[in-house]
Amino acid sequence: MKTTSKLYQSERRNAYLFVAAPVIGFLIFTLAPTLYSLYGSFTNWNGLGQMNFIGIQNYIDLLTDESFHKTMYNTLFMMLGIPIGLVLALLLALGLNRAIIGTQVFRVLYYVPVISSLAAISILWQWAYNGDYGLVNQFLGIFGIDGPSWLMNKDTVKPALILMTVWKGLGYSMLLYLAALQSVPKTYYEAARLDGANAFQVFKNITLPMVKPVTFFIVVTSIIGGAQIFTEINVMTPTGGPEYSSATVVFYIWQKAFGNFEMGYGSAMAVVLGLFIFAFTYIQFKVNEKSSYDLD
Amino acid sequence: MMLMAMLVVVITGALSACSSGSSGGSEDGNVNLTFMFSGQPQEQTAYKNVVKKFEEAHPDVKVKTVVTAGDQYDTKLQAAIAGKSVPDVFFYNPGNLKAYVNSGVLMDITDLVENAEGADLTKIWESGVNKYRYDGEVAGQGAIYGLPKDLGPFAFGYNKTMFEEAGIPLPDPDKPYTLEEFLEVNKQLTKDKDGDGKLDQWGTGLNVNWSLQPFVWSNGADWLDETHTKVTVDDPKFIEALQYFADLQNVHKVTPSIAEGQTLDTYQRWMQGQIGFFPVGPWDMGAYKDLKFEYDLLPWPVGSTGETQAWIGSLGIGVSSKTKHAELAAELALYLSSDEEGQQALVDQQVQLPNNTDVAEKWAADTSIKPANKQEFLDIIGEHGRDLPTNFTYTGEWYDEFFKNIQPVIDGKKTAEEYVKEAQPKMQELLDKAIKQEEQAKK
Repeated sequence: MKTTSKLYQSERRNAYLFVAAPVIGFLIFTLAPTLYSLYGSFTNWNGLGQMNFIGIQNYIDLLTDESFHKTMYNTLFMMLGIPIGLVLALLLALGLNRAIIGTQVFRVLYYVPVISSLAAISILWQWAYNGDYGLVNQFLGIFGIDGPSWLMNKDTVKPALILMTVWKGLGYSMLLYLAALQSVPKTYYEAARLDGANAFQVFKNITLPMVKPVTFFIVVTSIIGGAQIFTEINVMTPTGGPEYSSATVVFYIWQKAFGNFEMGYGSAMAVVLGLFIFAFTYIQFKVNEKSSYDLD
Repeated sequence: MMLMAMLVVVITGALSACSSGSSGGSEDGNVNLTFMFSGQPQEQTAYKNVVKKFEEAHPDVKVKTVVTAGDQYDTKLQAAIAGKSVPDVFFYNPGNLKAYVNSGVLMDITDLVENAEGADLTKIWESGVNKYRYDGEVAGQGAIYGLPKDLGPFAFGYNKTMFEEAGIPLPDPDKPYTLEEFLEVNKQLTKDKDGDGKLDQWGTGLNVNWSLQPFVWSNGADWLDETHTKVTVDDPKFIEALQYFADLQNVHKVTPSIAEGQTLDTYQRWMQGQIGFFPVGPWDMGAYKDLKFEYDLLPWPVGSTGETQAWIGSLGIGVSSKTKHAELAAELALYLSSDEEGQQALVDQQVQLPNNTDVAEKWAADTSIKPANKQEFLDIIGEHGRDLPTNFTYTGEWYDEFFKNIQPVIDGKKTAEEYVKEAQPKMQELLDKAIKQEEQAKK
């Protein structure tokens, strides 16, 4: 299109400036470090001095690195929290989507953990999980249950961390679901009711498909976030937990890169993790495409 | 996370490019130095005051302080190093000495601090300074690459009030318990006081990560051989010490069981007066000031050598090899390490011992500061203190591996012998890798 107006031209320039800010930010702060890290993964860089090219040696070492496999497993295991959180968030959203007294208050309450500092929350939960004086065991004590020292025990540490991450993410997912529920046209429900559908049928055939984009969004972002879980682990189990049972991939990368001067090796793990996340996300997009509903 | 780390690198790099060298002179002829450190709030204030005093003594010098939370300190420092904007003066972990020297991060400050005016190197603990010596092969000797911020002798404490209540003779501060005697006293202290069938007082409750060392060392064993190239945890003397340590919990039950808590929990039980013996570091003294019972120090119990042993922690103050004002930076480091007034301020906060030997003697003799037997701290520094094994190696991963899977031994599900046989080859492999890394870094 040919433009003649001066006003239009200046607007266009401004538009490019606005676009440039995040793009430049992305180039400097995301793309450049990523490429740098990719290059680093082919070196034996210790993070301080020279980078020597060693080909794919780091990746070969990864294949037999037990700790890497273990932390990969731990990371995947802790993603069990994602479906749990999803179901709970939807149930909560359904509950809070009704005209009952105090919904506003509840919505705020559930959202508080989301805006709180992750490190602060981790410290609080660390106390809650304390074997002797922790809130969790005191609560269990009411029912005569003698709770374990949650974070000190390799069987309980992962579930304990899952519980906490679910709690932390609940408000966010719930809010998204709430917005999705409120945008479902009322006419669908009215039509279904006229057709004699029961509550479950309405839920299954109208509500669920209509909030599907949100479900998809939450699943994708949760997996990306879950693959990178670090702060909770670092604060609550600074040594990676009993027998390294709560150490995640990112935790291990951090230990290697900064604790053991193996920045090159750490970079290789970061690249593998990045590829995993990319593959997961790609598959999800594909699956989502296939099963998309056409509502007309 | 990797992205984040790289991000820090890039940002710090960019910043240093903008400010064209934070250590450069500014337009009014002043000299600018940057000092990066970490510490609890009281420590920060104390160090900032020392810096202020240094500035008063050098009117043309401005010192910019950069404070970082303790658990992120190493990461931030390494990011700064990778970004080529190393602060002129900074704290660092002695375990990183070799890596930092080999990569050309730290400056050899031997001449500068030995001939410095106004401050006196000989007033600081010799063993403290030695921790930061390195001759290119062995840590602990050669040129000086830093000064101790402090020395942290990890002493052994006991609940004096509990001993008196139980009618047990107080331990002799100069004669350590043998392992048998130690066990015996522990048994006497472990009891159900209110008769509800549950134990509520224990002899001890030791965290294996921080308390196994004295038992191993005094039994004549160690994690490494003298050349620091072979992992020796499968030595029978080592096994004996580890088994003894584990048996305290799972055979003799003189410590709270796993269900009854670990680490943090035994610390709290000690604070609540439920535990007889517990380690005491100088950094604990502030927190222990308000205990509801009397406590004092005694030597760690001894194994077959009969010699008590303990480890000494430390943090170093180094000077960047890239600094433009080497003399001033070294002087600041020396000032931070040895200035009497500054030291006194830190000592008053009860988070560390005096670095200055004169101040330390006075402090140990001062009966108004708890615990009474502070001399034990000084004895550890002077006579029976050692460095943690990681100070001698390029990285500490091999050492961490030992503690990674040790819980089943402490719980009695695995014998010490079985465990060390499994762990030794893995540790050796990691140590070999660290040695290889060290050689590569030297090239």
